[in-house]
Formats: sequence, C-alpha cells, structure tokens
Amino acid sequence: MGFFALVVALRFAMDGTIKIGILFSCTGPYGSIGRDCRDGAALAFAEASEMAGKGISFEPVYTDPEGEPRAYLEQARAMLRDGCRLIIGTITSLARKEVIPLIEKHDGLLWYICPYEGFEANESVIYTGACPNQHLMPLFEHLLPRQGRRVYLIGANYVWGWEMNRIARDLLRDAGGEVVGERYLPIEETDVDRLIADIRSRRPDFILNNMIGPSSHAFLRAYKALGDADPAFRPEVRPVVSCDLTEAEIGEIGLGLSTGHLSAASYFGTLATPENERFRARATTAFGAERRLSSFVEGAYVAAHMLMDAVRSVGTDEPSAVREAVHTRLFETPHGPMRIDPRTNHAALPFHLGRIRDDGNFDIIASRPAMAADPYMTAPREGSRSSLRVVS
Amino acid sequence: MTVIPDLVGLKVAILHRLDEGIGRLVRQLGLLGLEAHVQWTPLDLEATPADIVLVDADQGWSGLLPWSGEPAPVPMVALLQSEAPGRVAWAISEGALSILPKPVVPAAVYPALVLAVAAHARAVEAAARMERLEERLRMRPLVHAAVRSIEMAVHCDEEAAYAALRRAAMKRRITIEQTAAEMLAGVIPLSEAG
Repeated sequence: MGFFALVVALRFAMDGTIKIGILFSCTGPYGSIGRDCRDGAALAFAEASEMAGKGISFEPVYTDPEGEPRAYLEQARAMLRDGCRLIIGTITSLARKEVIPLIEKHDGLLWYICPYEGFEANESVIYTGACPNQHLMPLFEHLLPRQGRRVYLIGANYVWGWEMNRIARDLLRDAGGEVVGERYLPIEETDVDRLIADIRSRRPDFILNNMIGPSSHAFLRAYKALGDADPAFRPEVRPVVSCDLTEAEIGEIGLGLSTGHLSAASYFGTLATPENERFRARATTAFGAERRLSSFVEGAYVAAHMLMDAVRSVGTDEPSAVREAVHTRLFETPHGPMRIDPRTNHAALPFHLGRIRDDGNFDIIASRPAMAADPYMTAPREGSRSSLRVVS
Repeated sequence: MTVIPDLVGLKVAILHRLDEGIGRLVRQLGLLGLEAHVQWTPLDLEATPADIVLVDADQGWSGLLPWSGEPAPVPMVALLQSEAPGRVAWAISEGALSILPKPVVPAAVYPALVLAVAAHARAVEAAARMERLEERLRMRPLVHAAVRSIEMAVHCDEEAAYAALRRAAMKRRITIEQTAAEMLAGVIPLSEAG
C-alpha cells in the first residue's frame, strides 16, 4: 500500500462508521436474558450517538438466533462478511463454541459477557462474565460454613450444568462436604415432580441450581409449592442457590415465587454505589422505572462502552489493536473500575451474593472486591493436595 | 516395528448432529476410503455395524454408547471442542483412544483414526495376554500339587519332579498348568512323568 492509500485508509477509519455485531437470542428458551443483553448494548450505543462528533461513529447490527446453534453460526458469518469485526454476543457455551472458530477464521474479536463454567481463554474472545473462581468458589466459601455441606446438585443437560456440578463436586470433596443428589434436565423440560420428590426425601442443606430457562423456572415454582406445603423447604431453611439467575428472569418465574433464594453475580441492580446510581438514572430514562437491571443489562452495556472506548483510543476496529487497548485501559463501570487481564483476556470481577426479594430485585448479603479470573482453576486451593484430580 | 493399520473399507459410525463440520468429516473419510454413517441417537452395533466409532464428546451422554463403563469393542475417537475436564473425563470413560478437535480440520482426521485403531489393537492384544496369564496364575496351585504327587510317586526331589512335568507338557504340546490338571485328574498317569 502506498502512502496515499494508507492515508486514505486511515482517514476512512477515523471518519467512517464502524459496524458492531450484537448477537443475542432475544426469543427462544432463554430469550429474557438475551433481551437484557440487547437492551444494555442498545443503551450504550444510544449514549454514544448522543456524544458523537469525535470522528468515529458506531452502527450496531442486531440479529436474533432464537437459541438455535445453526442460526448463531449463519448470523455470525453474515456479520463478519458484512464488515462487523467486533461482535458482542452469545449466551450459552454451546453458542459461543459454535461462533469462536468463525471469529478466529475472519480475524474478529468476540465479547462474551455471561457467567460461564471456565476452561477457556481464547485469544479472539474478551470475557467479561465471571468464571467459577469468581462465582461458584466464593459462593461455596461463603455458604458451606453457614448453610451446611450436604448439597443437592441440579443442572441443565449440557456443558454449563455438567461442568458446574463437576466443579461443585470437586469443591465439596475438598471441603469435606457431601453431594446428596445430582440430576439433569433438558432446558425445555418442565416436568420436575420426580426431582422435587427426590429433594424432599434427601433433605439437602441447600440446592445448587445450574439449570437454565424453562426447566429452572418450573423447578423454582414447584419448590415454592413444596415450601408452602412443608416449612422444612422454605428458602430460609433450604435455599436454592444459582450462579446465573438474575433480575432478568424473576418476573418470568412469577414475582414472589422465588423470593428468599440466593444468587451469585458480579452485579445486582440494587448495588448502592455512586457509579450504579448514575447508571440506574440513565437506564430509568431509557427503559422506565419499572425495569429491573440485571448483570446481563449491565454486562452488555459495559462491554459496548468498553469496545467503543477501545476503538476510539486506537482509531480503528482492527481486532489486535482493539485487544491491546482493552488490555491496557481501566474501564469505569456501574460495578466499579474494571481491568482485562492480558494473560487470560478475562475481566477481574467482584462477587456479590444476592437474596431475591418480592419485587424481583436482590438484597446484597455478601460481597468481595474484584478478583482476577482463573479460568483453568490453576491457583492452589485449600484442602486439595493431590496432584491427580478426579474428574468424573 | 510399528505397522500402520489399513483403514480402507472400514465402516465408521459418527455420533453427532449433522452440521457443516461433520459434512467435511464425512467427505474426508470418503477420501480415505472409509464408509461413514452419521446419527445422533444411541448406537446399536448390531443394527449398524461399525469398525470405528467417532462420538461428540461435547454433547455426549452416558447411554449414547452401548458399552458405557465396559471396554469399547471397537476403536473410538472423541470429537471434542470443549476444554472442560468433565468432558475429557467422559471421553476417557467411554473408551476414547484419540481426540479429533472440532471444528474438524481434514488433515487431523487420518492421524486420529490411525492412533485410535493402533491403540485399540494394542489394548485387545494386552487384554488377551493378561487373560492368559491370569488363567495360568489361577492354575498355579495345580502345578504345585502335581509336582508334589510326582515327587511321592517316583521318589525324586522337587526339581526333578518339575522337569518331568515339563517334559510331559512338551510331549503333548500343552501348557504345564493343563498337564498338571490332567495328571491330578488321572487322565495322564503319574508314572509317565517319571
């Protein structure tokens, strides 16, 4: 490329519109999560266009794969061919794994904002959702001494459920705890009678819920009925605990039906900090006062702003330049300042434990400051001395 | 010397949802001279015979393969994208002998198949050898008893009695253990050992 062409290319990048892919399933079994993600990103892009005039403008390109793995693939490919080199999206690990090879092939960069089961650190992905050392481990460290060590594990019938429960088994073994039961249901299965009956007979200290979507909602409704019939299964006695249940889904379950149960997250809408007050004010203007703000709304909002900041700072959407900018900057977010670890591409995140309220928001009952992600769980753990891990 | 197994003409069962990547895999297997069949239902080797099984270890569940927990009767390759230890453990427990990473790169197919076929042949051979040795170990008390009987019958020491038993076995071209068993059962006269 000659000097003139280079100047033209740079000018184009500085003045042009940069397309950003927003790939979330806003319909389908986990559509409520996708809608929160889409709305969070949209809020950030709306704010950016109000502040436009600094040269670069952004054009979000929204698609909805409706929870279909094949649609994720087709839509991500269309986005990449259409000039979106940066994509914010995917919710399940299944979808993320589907999209990553395409992102790699087209030299793109994916922002993954959801909590997940870890064991991944791809160069082409920026991970701003929590992994197990940021959700499940602090959750157990807090809960086992207080609630008891006899745990019933339930999960969705795919890698999130399987792997989260495997890690839970591992942590319980190290902590001298006991797995009193373990069951898996397909995402759309809503017949939970046998599961409820088994939990009733085994009387665990608490239930770790790694199900998602309709099966999780059906379970929480049925567990409420069980607690109404038998006080030994009220949330204050035997709570259901999750690492991915947020404000996004409480309304879908039915307000009041999951009250008292617990969830771990890096953000809750009720977080009382000046940064979050400011975010809440903006979100209220955009979505109305009734809107409950989840870590998915906030996560997508943060990711979109972070992406735009990084692009502006380097003047291009060239993924390696953007990635480098992301690694070196400190981002102000509603949950506090956030850094991305250049070694793992993962965000350092705080831990909050929330208890569901009647109004569908969470009371924060325990917190820890931001901690670095350890996606492969390589840090030494107390109680784990063997060099060989039992993994099944 | 390592002999590279011949794959031409072998039947492959692929347990995976059909997608673009699996389409590429089927094409590559065809080029390698293998015949592939794709299904995403539990495998029944009698209904659909296969010489090699390729299984989706990301999504596979126990019960997908009929030998769950037992040694796999045919060489098995795990199709794997996840890095989750639980998924690798599942692949091991179902009997996978090599891994073919997803999305499938055509160049990775042949080495993964050869590795699994060779490892399976070695495992079958080792299992048969172990079975023979275990059988001989089980029959060790019979050898002792036969040696004692020969010692008493022909008034010799233990070394001579054992040598006699060995001679009798070599003459009949059967194992020492079998000779001992037949001697104690009276099929071979003790005097013959003398």
